[in-house]
Formats: sequence, C-alpha cells, structure tokens
Amino acid sequence: MDTPAIRVEGFTKRYGKRVAADGLSLTVQAGEIYGLVGADGAGKSSLMKAVAGVLAFDAGTVEVFGTRVDSERSAEQVKRRIGFLPQGLGLNLYPDLSIEENVDFFGRLRGVPAAELLERKRQLLEMTRLDSFRARPMRQLSGGMKQKLGLVCTLIHEPDLVILDEPTTGVDPVSRRDFWAILGKLLEEKGVTALVSTAYLDEADRFHRVSLFHEGKVMGEGTPAELVATVPGTLALFRAEPQAEALPRLKAAFPQTEAMGAWLRVFAEGLDAPRAREAVDKALAGIPPTDWFAREPELEDVFVAMLRQRGAKLESAFPADSRVPAASTDLAIEARGLTRLFGDFRAADAVSFSVPQGEIFGLLGANGAGKTTVIKMLTGILKPSSGEGRVAGADMRSAGLAIKERIGYMSQAFSLYHDLSVIENIRLYAGIYGLDGRQAQRRSDWVIGMAGLAGFENDAAGRLPMGLRQRLALGCALVHEPRVLFLDEPTSGVDPIGRRMFWDILFHLSRREGVAILVTTHYMSEAEHCDHLALMYAGRVVADASPEAMKAEVSAESGQLLELRVDRPVPAQAALRAAGFASATLHGRAVHLLSRDAAGDLARLPGKLAEAGITVQSATLRPLSMEDVFVQRITALEAADRKAS
Amino acid sequence: MNAFFSGASLRRLRVMTHKELLQLFRDVALMVFFLYAFTGDIYIAASGVSMQLKNAAIATLDGDHSLASRELASRFQPPYFQAAGSAGTPQQAIRHLDDGDVMAVLDIPPRFGERLARGEQVAVQLQVDTSNSVLGFLASSYGAQIVGRYGLEVAALREGLGSGGISGPVIQADTRIWYNPNQNDAWFMGISELLTVITLFAILLPAAAMVREKERGTIEQLMVTPLSAFQILFPKVIAMTLVILAGTAIALFGVLGPGFDLPMRGSLVLFFLITALYVFTTAGLGLLAATVARNLAQVGMLTVVILMPMLLLSGAWTPIEAMPEWMRILAWISPLHYFLDAAYGILLKGTGMDLLWDSVLAMGLLGVVVFGAGMGRFGRQFG
Repeated sequence: MDTPAIRVEGFTKRYGKRVAADGLSLTVQAGEIYGLVGADGAGKSSLMKAVAGVLAFDAGTVEVFGTRVDSERSAEQVKRRIGFLPQGLGLNLYPDLSIEENVDFFGRLRGVPAAELLERKRQLLEMTRLDSFRARPMRQLSGGMKQKLGLVCTLIHEPDLVILDEPTTGVDPVSRRDFWAILGKLLEEKGVTALVSTAYLDEADRFHRVSLFHEGKVMGEGTPAELVATVPGTLALFRAEPQAEALPRLKAAFPQTEAMGAWLRVFAEGLDAPRAREAVDKALAGIPPTDWFAREPELEDVFVAMLRQRGAKLESAFPADSRVPAASTDLAIEARGLTRLFGDFRAADAVSFSVPQGEIFGLLGANGAGKTTVIKMLTGILKPSSGEGRVAGADMRSAGLAIKERIGYMSQAFSLYHDLSVIENIRLYAGIYGLDGRQAQRRSDWVIGMAGLAGFENDAAGRLPMGLRQRLALGCALVHEPRVLFLDEPTSGVDPIGRRMFWDILFHLSRREGVAILVTTHYMSEAEHCDHLALMYAGRVVADASPEAMKAEVSAESGQLLELRVDRPVPAQAALRAAGFASATLHGRAVHLLSRDAAGDLARLPGKLAEAGITVQSATLRPLSMEDVFVQRITALEAADRKAS
Repeated sequence: MNAFFSGASLRRLRVMTHKELLQLFRDVALMVFFLYAFTGDIYIAASGVSMQLKNAAIATLDGDHSLASRELASRFQPPYFQAAGSAGTPQQAIRHLDDGDVMAVLDIPPRFGERLARGEQVAVQLQVDTSNSVLGFLASSYGAQIVGRYGLEVAALREGLGSGGISGPVIQADTRIWYNPNQNDAWFMGISELLTVITLFAILLPAAAMVREKERGTIEQLMVTPLSAFQILFPKVIAMTLVILAGTAIALFGVLGPGFDLPMRGSLVLFFLITALYVFTTAGLGLLAATVARNLAQVGMLTVVILMPMLLLSGAWTPIEAMPEWMRILAWISPLHYFLDAAYGILLKGTGMDLLWDSVLAMGLLGVVVFGAGMGRFGRQFG
C-alpha cells in the first residue's frame, strides 16, 4: 500500500528544440484523484503519455506501481493495470461503431472474459446513463456522451490506474459536472487511482491533490486548499464609479486588478480583509468603493501571483493616446428574430438581443447551442433563414462589403497565417482593409504595443506562445479600428496571465474607445467579465441579463451556495441528496449545494451528516459562480425538454 | 466595376498575392518537390524514357546449329537487339520470357539450314513479350523484317542473283521526317513531361493554398473582411501562375535547352503567355476541387482524379483520332489538349498565333467557365 501509484522524478521531454517538460517531479498515492492543471503546451500531455507508457522521454524516471517505465517491455508490464483516455473528444473511439460495439471492442481487446464483460458493461452503462442509447453510433453522440463512453471504455478492464487527458475540454458545464460526479463515484467504488488533467483552473477543486503546470514546470503541488494558502491575501470585490478612473489607480497599487463588468476585482496579496480595505481606500484616493465583499482568493489568483513572483508581467503597454469615450447610446449590434435552419435543424431560433456601443456582451451556451451560428450570421459569413441582424446600423444581409470595414472578427482558432511573421500578418490585414502605407505603419505600431509583441516582430506567428498568438489575432482584428468586435471563443487554451491581459485590452477598448464587443465563451469564469449576458440553449436565447441579475435570480429561485468540507465526500453527497438537496455536487473533498435557508442549513447540516458517520470539517457560504447559474438554468431546461418528449 | 480599379482594391489584390507567394516560399517541402519536378523529373523523362526499341535482349533456341541458323541469329544486332545467349530447351526459353530476362526468343527448328538450302518452305518462330505493347510491336515487326530480308537474300542467292538484290523497277518509299528530324524522343518526352508537371502544379498549388485556409480557419477571417470572393480567389491564381511560369522557364532554359538541344522555334513570349492562360484555366479546376475537399489529403487525391483523365484525354499519350467517339468529345473540354497543340506547335514547329488562335480561344473560354464555377461554389459555401 505504501508504494505510490505514480512516482515521477526529474521528467524531461523535448520536441526538437522545444522543451515540453522540464524536470517535473510528482507523486500520486494509490486511491487519489490527482490533477494536472495548466494551459495548453504546459507539459501535461507529455507527462501523461509517459506514465501511460506510450511516449519515450529524454531524462528522469517514471515509476508506475513501483515498476520503472523506461522500456517497451517494462511499459507492457504495467499497461494491463492502466486505462488511458487520450485528449480530444472521442478520438480513441470508433465513430461508426455503436456504444455497445465500442465497449465490446475495448473489452475484448483487453481480454475481458465474456461473462464479466457483460456484467461490467451493464453496470458502467447504467452508471453513465448511456444504457438507453446502446445501439447509437458514437459519432451521433454529444460531446458529454462521447466523453462518458470514453470513460467506460477506459474502465472496462478494471484498471488500477486511469489516466484521463483533459476529459472535460470542449464539454459544456452541465456535462462537465455530470462527468466529474460519475468519475468520483466510479473511482470511489472501484478503488481506482486517477491522474486527470484540465485546462480549467476552476476545476482544480475536483481533485484531492493537484500540480500546477506552467511552461513545462510544476509551479506548486498540494491540495487545492494548501495551494491557495501558499500566497496569503484577500480577494476584494466591489464597485467604484467612475470605473474607468478607478481601474488605473487600483492597478498602480495592486497588479492583480481586474474589471468584471461593472465590478472591480482586486487581489490584495499579503493583506487580511480589514487591511485590504484600507489599502484599497488609499489607492482609490477619493472614489468610494461600494458593495464591498472580501474573501479568500481563488486558485487562479494564487497561480497568477506565483507566476508574477517568477517574473511574469501583467501590465500590457496599452498606448496612452486612447480617446476619451464618446458617450453613445447607439445600438452597435441588434439581432431581431435571427433564425437559421440547416435542413430541419434549427441552429438558431428567433434569437433577439441588442448591444450598445461600449458594452461587452457575452453569448453563453454549450457546444451546439447556436452561439457560433449567431456570430456567423451577424458577421455576414452565413445568411439567416429569417430575421434580421443589424450591425453598426446596417442590415448584414443587404449591406455591401463596405460595412465589413466597421467590423472586427476573431475566430476560435485565432485564424492567423502561421507561416507568416507577426509583422507580415499585421501588414496583410492592414492591406486587406485598404489602409495606405502611413496608416498601416501607425496601426501596426499600435498593435505591437497593445499586444506586447515588441521583439517578436519577425517571429513566425505559429511559433508564438498561445497568449501572444491570441493577442496578435486580436490586433489583426483591430487593425482597421472597427466599431464592433466579434470574438468567438477567444481564450481557449490560453494561460491565466494571457487571459487576464486579454480581458484587460477588451476592457480598455470598450470603455476608452467605445467599441462594442460580442464574445462567446464556454469558460464560465470569463462570463463574469461581461457587462451583459445572453444564455443560449438549443438555438434559443433563454436568459438575457447582467451577470449579477442572473445570479440574483438563481439565488432567489434555488437558494444560496453552501460548501461543506467533509472527510468522506461521496457518501456525504448521497446523504445530502437523500435529504432533498438535489443540487449536491462533489468538489474534491467538499460538497456544494444550494440552500433556501442558508443560515439554518449551515447550523443544521453538520449534525445531520454526523448521524450518517460523516464529519464536516467546515461549512461556509460561497458566492454563486456563473457556472452554478449555467448548470442550474440548463439542467432545468433539459428536465423540461425530457418531460415534454 | 469601379471599385475594382480603386486604389484600395488594387492594394488588396497586391497584398493577397504577396501573402500567397510568401506562404508558398516558406513551405520547404512543397518547394523542394516543385524544384525537383521542374528539373530532375523532366531530365529523367527526357533522357530515360524512350519509345524506341533499344538493345532488346533476345535469346536463341537453336534446334539446328547450322551455318544458316547461326547466320540468322547473328543478324539480331544492336542498336535494336542484343543477343542474350541461347536457350537449351523450349521450357527454358519460356522461363526466360516469364522472368523478363529476355524480350524475345528466336526459335529455329531442326533441319532449318538443310531445308532452306533445298529451297523448301521453312518457318522460324519469334516469341515476343508484349507486356509493353509499343515495344513488343516494334520488336516483332523489326524481327519480321530481319527474318524476311534474310529469306530474300537466301532466295536471291539460290536464283543466282547474287547479293546485289533485284535489278528492276522497284518503288523506293522515301520518308521525310519533319519537326524532329532525328526522331529525338527526348524532345517529345521532355515537353510532354513539362506539360504534365505544369498541369499538376496548376491544379495542386491553388487547391492546396485554398484548403489550407479552410483547415486553419483563416478563410472565415477573410470572409468577414471587405474582400470579395474574387479578391480572395484570384490572387491565389496570380501567385501560382507566376511561380509556375518561373518553373517552366527553369525547365526550358535550364534542362531541355542546354541538356537536349530543344529547338524552341517559335515565339517564347507567345509560349509563356499561352502557358499563363493555361495555368489560369487549370487553376480554376484546382479551386473547384478545393471547394469540395476538406483537407490537404483530399486535395491530393482529387488532384490525381482530375489529372489522370486530363492526361489521357489530352492526346499526349495517344492521338485523339484513335480514341472512341465519346472520348473524343470529352477531349474537347480538356484544356491540356489545346495546350499540347500550342506547346508542340510553338516549340517544335514554330507555329504562330495565326494557327493557334482557336486553341487559345477555347482555352480562355474554358478558363472563364471553370473559374466562374469555382467562384460560384465558393460563394455558396461561405455566402
């Protein structure tokens, strides 16, 4: 039992000149759910592949269940005990085989005896609620279902260790929660150890212990709570008007300051709550903060602080010549009953909303909810079947090419020319938008300054780190000074520092230059940055309000969010569900639930759980996140759909 | 049309063309393939591939071993034939043929010399491997000629006419060979290969450039800019045409000219203009293919699917007149057919525009139709 499930020492992997993993070390104990958390290219996949015995590496040792994985033969010895789910939705499955055929294939491949295969298949498909779709071909499954099927196929030979590489990337929040719940339950029941990676920092609390990855190095290891404790400080949330003046003052004193819609979010490192208030008051110099909340920082704040301590810079060299905002109530974007049919399928169904100049508008929804279809109709890439999309005062259907000069667009893939250099990309778009030589020069200087690309001008765009690449793509979309900016999933795969700098730029654009920004995202933590949100489900807009209003509404309907830290989370969740808390979900060693009587439940629940033999270590009230709102809303809609059909 | 000629529009075409060229030059693998195709590949085709019968290995199955049989066998000489020993048994001879060791077997029956001397009718058998039908046909007809001439000589000797031949009125068939007086295969094969390579790249380069934009998602980025479909597609054609013309110049002046003394009798300006028109026409096919293909691998397959029938229908390998009726009709819509006429005409015959105008017109029309279809499909896909 004392042999750790995985022991990695000094793991190093290079791809050509690029160092993917640089002397990584970590230990995973048997029975743990261990998380590797970090952005794309941080080295997570390389390590996971090496542990699974499918990747040769340059230096270091990797031991799995006490066996050194350093040759084909030793890898074969442990492979029987390992289940590996590679990155990418359903990439290890066969699209033309049905759910059942996929499971059977993996079962036979692993030599599971027929009788056992039948029983395990029944059990696993039941737990993942896939049993009613047994005959459906894998390619017709939703992202969440594919991932669950992938999990079933990984577990069919009852491995002692499962390695899951970004199982929740590209999966909507509801399916993501479902996935974590199923994974937690399966691992608990079968006593399996799990090594799981994720690019979502807010998923870190799903794990017992985590390693924070950044650019091939481990920045910290421990339980999520231990990691948060490594950088003490206070997270303050408040409003201060005028926000555009308050922000630079706060930034001068607190590098980790962000604007979140109408709110300001400040991480006061090394200060307790009262001293944080003092320091904020002093920094604001006369602007009074209102609606003050102070609480412990989140892992992302801590991660950014760690990176800062190691020399990462947060401030973008935003040019100072930004004009004072022209106060405008003009509508920049207006969708009126936008509908798009693909055959019988309504990709967008009577979508209506409006965005004034200077607002950051977020379009939320799961994959396939219709976000990208709406953006494509508004940018003129796709013709609506009916309805009207007006952008910058013109109907996109009838407007000529000229209207496109007033629109900027950045797509999911940061569609840059990877084989062209930074400056060549900028000049190309400047030329496409018809800028003359002098204008092009002025704007490329602006883009390079804004994006922090000085010194990278002649590097190929494809070789830039993700964060820089993203800002270059944004720069190219802004080269012609558009009044309206469309961003389709702009920050997937970017590390937290890059994401912060990106949002910082968007904030400047909207507040200082009055640019209207429409952004789609499935990162719920990003939705909090928006002034206004529209939530899409099955092609329809089902909610349209500010983030606070959405949270307040869910709070009023379903209650406040409680977090219970317990010694045995899985039975605790079951007990709470049995007691009527249908919203109880697992978060690592904690259980989250919604309560209509928060004060009463905080007092009552520890005693109630103690009757079931569960010790509650702490019970606290937590602010609702956008993810909670999303899950709550979409779950209700899905339930209504099921009832209707 | 006014907007088209405005400063911004020209700048758009210019920056887009520049971009295509940059991307092409940075694709090292593609550039290496490109340079090889326009030099090495053409050199090999011009020097190695021949439709002439050269040094065909022939084995003798001599059942006679007489003076006459040895005399006949010894007449199968280079440059057409090359003696490859004798086979002991018919089985051995067949095996040599099966293995491909020899191309033909001369089977001389027993008592061949004796019967010949008596003036009797004798037959020899020539077994020929005609897997390659052209070479096989040549081998059998040359073989028949050799045997026939030997027969005549023997007959003449017997009749006491001596080896001087028959004195009397004989029709002398006098063939004059035009355009390629030495019947130099290198010219034909070299030009034919050059045209094939031009065709290949004229389809492949624009299609690859287009589908790469689809794969990367940059095409959507371009669609939201003020660029029209024409402004997106046409620069690809311009850039690829420039590059292919450069490749053609390398092949003509670097390989076929100095290496094989290709005459280039007509106007080279005309040749390059027609080549540019041909590349434009064929590039339209490539762009059309790119609207169908989803990735580079599919582009590769589609290129082969388009290229093969184009080559077959062009008349490069078989005269169009020898094709069945329905294929002849199809050949009229193969742009390569017109280009082939024009290229051989200009380079080997020195033909001018006065004779080529109809080919040029047909090619231009095809080009406009195909490019228009490509733009139409592109517009429907993204519009």
